[in-house]
Amino acid sequence: MEKLFQRKVTVTLKYITVALVSAILLLLIESSFAKREYAISAFLTVGLIAIAITYLTNFSIPMKFFLPGMFFLFAFVVGPILYTIAMSGFHYQTGNYISKPESITQILAGGIRPDAAQTTFDIIIGEDPAKNLEILASDPTNKKYFLATATTKTDLDPAGLAIDGNGDATVAPGFTPLTPSQQAAQDKALADTRFAYSSDYFITIEGGNVASLKEQSLKYDSSTDTFTNVLTHTVYRDNGTGNFANIKDKNDQLQPGWRAPIWFENYAKLFTDPQIRSALIPVFIWTIVFASLTVLTQFALGLLIAMTLNRKLHGRRIYRSILILPYAMPSIMSILIWGGMFDTEFGAINHLFGTHVHWFQSALYARLAVIIVNLWLGFPYFYLICSGALQAIPAELSEAAAIDGASSRQIFRKITLPLLLQVVAPLLVASFAFNFNNFNIIYLLTGGGPQNTLGGAVAGSTDILISYTYKIAFSAGNQNLGLASAISVVIFVIIASISLYGIRRSKVLDSFK
Amino acid sequence: MKKWVKEDLWRHIVLLVTCFFVLFPIYLVFLSALSPTGSLQVTSFIPKTISFNNFHLLFHSPKIPYLIWMKNSIVIAGLVAVLSVVIGAASAFSFSRLRFRGKKQGLQLLLLVQMFPAILSLSAVYVIMERVYNFAPHIGLGTEPGLLLVYLGGAMGVNIWLLKGFVDSIPIELDEAAKVDGASAVQTYWLIFVPLAAPILAVVSLLSFIGTFNEFILARLFLVDQNSRTIAVGLQSFISGQYATNWGPFAAGSIIASIPLVAIFLSLQRYIISGLTAGSVKG
Repeated sequence: MEKLFQRKVTVTLKYITVALVSAILLLLIESSFAKREYAISAFLTVGLIAIAITYLTNFSIPMKFFLPGMFFLFAFVVGPILYTIAMSGFHYQTGNYISKPESITQILAGGIRPDAAQTTFDIIIGEDPAKNLEILASDPTNKKYFLATATTKTDLDPAGLAIDGNGDATVAPGFTPLTPSQQAAQDKALADTRFAYSSDYFITIEGGNVASLKEQSLKYDSSTDTFTNVLTHTVYRDNGTGNFANIKDKNDQLQPGWRAPIWFENYAKLFTDPQIRSALIPVFIWTIVFASLTVLTQFALGLLIAMTLNRKLHGRRIYRSILILPYAMPSIMSILIWGGMFDTEFGAINHLFGTHVHWFQSALYARLAVIIVNLWLGFPYFYLICSGALQAIPAELSEAAAIDGASSRQIFRKITLPLLLQVVAPLLVASFAFNFNNFNIIYLLTGGGPQNTLGGAVAGSTDILISYTYKIAFSAGNQNLGLASAISVVIFVIIASISLYGIRRSKVLDSFK
Repeated sequence: MKKWVKEDLWRHIVLLVTCFFVLFPIYLVFLSALSPTGSLQVTSFIPKTISFNNFHLLFHSPKIPYLIWMKNSIVIAGLVAVLSVVIGAASAFSFSRLRFRGKKQGLQLLLLVQMFPAILSLSAVYVIMERVYNFAPHIGLGTEPGLLLVYLGGAMGVNIWLLKGFVDSIPIELDEAAKVDGASAVQTYWLIFVPLAAPILAVVSLLSFIGTFNEFILARLFLVDQNSRTIAVGLQSFISGQYATNWGPFAAGSIIASIPLVAIFLSLQRYIISGLTAGSVKG
């Protein structure tokens, strides 16, 4: 009886959860569809259907287990990977950030100028009887008066109007002036409205009581997809890479542009654009040097410690507890503390050694600092790994070798190290792959600096590929998401090859069969 | 005596030098946390006066919402730790024990995906969450739930892979026995697998907790508002300024934030190390 009740509770809870999740998904689908995010909306719909089928029927038992995990994996890992690949095919950077229709709207909004005579009007801001914004405009010199809304213009006969001392009309039939507070409430609408004047000209408000006559200097023709400058008759055409460009001078482009597909151009740039290449090559070399040196130094020190502690020793437990501290501490804080210690004037390192080294101003010292700090952070990991592996090596082997007359160095080189490497090799590869993308240490310790005078504008001497990519993608005012994505994809190919090599050696793939 | 010198002396020298290397920064953190001037500017390695002003500042200064940062970090990292393992364990179980079409492809995808460093798709995640913000301001860019979702997704690849390795090591005979007795897959999962794997699940969730607690760049990009920062971003903001005068509170804050992590790590190191050898590298 109790079991039955328990079962009922579980089943009810399950349906409540399914209902709740479905309701949230449904809400998101609805609102994303309304905002035209069709890809997201489609993904969520597939998710919703899958949830309904999986948990309301007995269609597939395994799916009941892996559906939530796969949902998150696709939403936040696979999705962004695909998006990165897609972005790498686009001209997607500062100045080319929006869609083409948005870009056309913005060019049109920017492409206006005062008329040739620079006509201005004295105005009163108000409303027509239908509560539309309306201005009562006066041209005292030419004695012309009219009412204008966004769509209509009504000329007024000066004879029937009340004219004040400045020659401005003050009241007009059907026109209600707005109080200052009402105006303030409609501030944005007032600034954006184009009041009707004639077919080529319109009026925009310049201040509380002044407006000026404007014309559209850039006109868009949707049938030919071109912009034409009314004054100079210059024609701007879609140049295929996300900008309207002067057909006679390709460098004369209208801003802003849009994100346009350019396929493999970002990848081609990595190899052909001299500016990008000259920055990228040193960064790439340093990335490999950094990752290799890190793994080597961490492994060497880790192994040394593991070997020194691999026998009975006074204070072994204390040593052990102290030596794994760097691994236990939050690495972000350790990195930041080291950053302070390398300070030239007041840093503890210079104080301790009585030196006056400008650690972060010289490329060599900055790189040395990065390696030292990373050694501190990572050697306990290899110590732990190696001490485990050393204990697993049967003592008989080295004892037998010793009986045969091998020196301890020979035993180490011929027996211990090869056996150890067999166990540790995949982890060395994994660590190399991890440090290849060790963003935190570079970003928090040196910020990539010091500035590399030889390289591109943003690459520094300690920048590794990933931190350089971050700068390209997020540096204020000069973002280039397309290029950054292309580099990311290249990095991934490198990392995946390295890791697959490591995995093949460790024979993980065999377990797939 | 002579034998001792010959065999053990060099060991002690190596170990003492390394211990000095390890303890030096840690000592400095304490030095600067307890110094009244609150700087990392070393004039002497031996403190002349000891003051708890920096700790006091942390909890009482209205400009430093330290407790709020700490709460944010613990809530986010705690939720990620629990949820990612609850979701990940079920997936790992199915990939390890159940048979279904597309399992091989699923495993290959998983293998490929868990190699992909989350930071590589940072800009894509940013742009996608920017779009999500447009239609769902509660879970998009700049919100804690949004960050939580991104963390959960990011932890999934590695966690499923790691947990699958553990599930593989549990003898399959137990499942088969349960099956013979008429247990369904769901029953096997809850009655056999979960109790057996409980210590492993705890370790993996602990690793997730530490990883999330340590995560910096996503948190920094996502959470702009001072009161919604995590501890890592908050503490970094002390000393990232042009005038690095806040080393004292930074050091004090780091100590408090580190103590629980170090304590957990040291007490559970045996289990954590077994997780490490399975291929995870702590960030």
